Amino acid sequence: MIITKKRDFKELMENIKNCKSFFLIGCSECASLCGTGGEPEVKAMKETLEAEGKIVTGGIVAKTGCQVLGTKTELKKNREELDKAECILVMSCGAGTQAAVEIFEDKPVYPTNDSLFLGNMTRFQMFDERCSLCGKCILDKTGGICPITACPKGLLNGPCGGCKDGHCEISPDIKCAWVRIYERMKRLDRLQELCEVTLEAKDWSASQKPRTLVTREEKKK
Amino acid sequence: MSFRNILNSGKFVVTAEVGPPKGTDVKEMIHHMELLKGKVDAVNVTDNQSAVMRICSMAVCKIAIEHGLEPILQMTCRDRNRIGLQSDLLGASILGIKNVLCMTGDHVSAGDHKGAKPVYDVESVQLLKMVDGLNNGKDMSGSDLKGTTDFFQGAVVTPEANPIEPQLIKFEKKIRAGAKFFQTQAIYDIEKFKEFMKYARKFPVKILAGFVVLKSAGMANFLNNNVPGIRVPQALIDELKAAGKEKALDTGMDITARHIKQLKDEKICDGVHIMAIGMEDKVPTIMERAGLL
Repeated sequence: MIITKKRDFKELMENIKNCKSFFLIGCSECASLCGTGGEPEVKAMKETLEAEGKIVTGGIVAKTGCQVLGTKTELKKNREELDKAECILVMSCGAGTQAAVEIFEDKPVYPTNDSLFLGNMTRFQMFDERCSLCGKCILDKTGGICPITACPKGLLNGPCGGCKDGHCEISPDIKCAWVRIYERMKRLDRLQELCEVTLEAKDWSASQKPRTLVTREEKKK
Repeated sequence: MSFRNILNSGKFVVTAEVGPPKGTDVKEMIHHMELLKGKVDAVNVTDNQSAVMRICSMAVCKIAIEHGLEPILQMTCRDRNRIGLQSDLLGASILGIKNVLCMTGDHVSAGDHKGAKPVYDVESVQLLKMVDGLNNGKDMSGSDLKGTTDFFQGAVVTPEANPIEPQLIKFEKKIRAGAKFFQTQAIYDIEKFKEFMKYARKFPVKILAGFVVLKSAGMANFLNNNVPGIRVPQALIDELKAAGKEKALDTGMDITARHIKQLKDEKICDGVHIMAIGMEDKVPTIMERAGLL
């Protein structure tokens, strides 16, 4: 999921200082799990803004805030509240914010969160980055552990000289991705494969921005 | 004779290190070069070592040639993508630089521009393949070069890495990628290094053992606690302690000289690489004590 973090409240208030009335849009997917845009957070935001003298005309927790058409449909029932709001506050990720931008052509849209990374929830409110969305997966070659993400240098052929007692030179809190890969491949009895395969330099054109994808078949006219 | 030919002739080689300064005042650096001239077989010129911004390695390599030293261009993958690296390699070639040491490079978080974007478009194994390609007239995209390079390419290895196995897998990948010589991280335990050499001797590559002179027991403890892949045995720390503050550096130089002499006398490896780190003026003395001058 997309891991988000609440923006510093002072910074948020500075960004919205010229607006009086707001409509809030949370998201029941990632932002809800991150505690940045679920029901409780939307409710708390409403109370905080009102305490700051702002007007909150209404709010919803969208089922999937990044799904443009679905969110637009969900918002139909809030027409009146939306009309009264000067601007929209989106409590999900950057994609959710931009879905709102697409829906509300004439209203300013502000994000309440910073979008951090694509990761896993390892424990309650603990998140780890696991995938860099590089566009060409190499997990089949690395025992299912992504060195592009787990190694700060994204090394593809083994550890650097900065590995100290199995940990990373940039922080003793990070276990060396290549030691993890080595240990897993050893457990799977695939060490020979790890020794024999030299991965070529990555083709970064697969992550050329902005990326689009169309998987549906266009209907014949 | 060139560094490549000396190494291939079987002579015990000595390389030292020149660290480019931050700023354009190169007087002290040139003084260090003059001290090393005629004594060492080649000098490594570091590439923004520890991710601290300094003069680029290539320019200083050129200065080294002008001062009668044969340079080894250290090249890291931290600051340039594959276009920049290949372009610089071609540039180094036309400046008369013959040797290149391919390394990953310390992360920017270790240096003085912590907000910089680290590159690592390729890494050390792929960089070695890149050099091999340029030597054979092809760039990384497979295009033909008009005029090829003729680099003698090397890499680094950490014999005291913990755990050692992933490090050795990479060592073998570097050899397959075209590495002809290796300079090691600093070693202090000759018996353990012998074990590494027993393994490394299976491969057709030259190995230069790395040395960092110990200035004090405190420095030894610092290295043990903070520098990956360095392990100073307790016996050496005790030796430095026993020498007392005033004699510690001299004892550290003795230890280095003693170790180098043992490696040479027992033909354990092909040469040594002395990383003086601010004590370049001591290198000739160490070489003298080791019986190399």
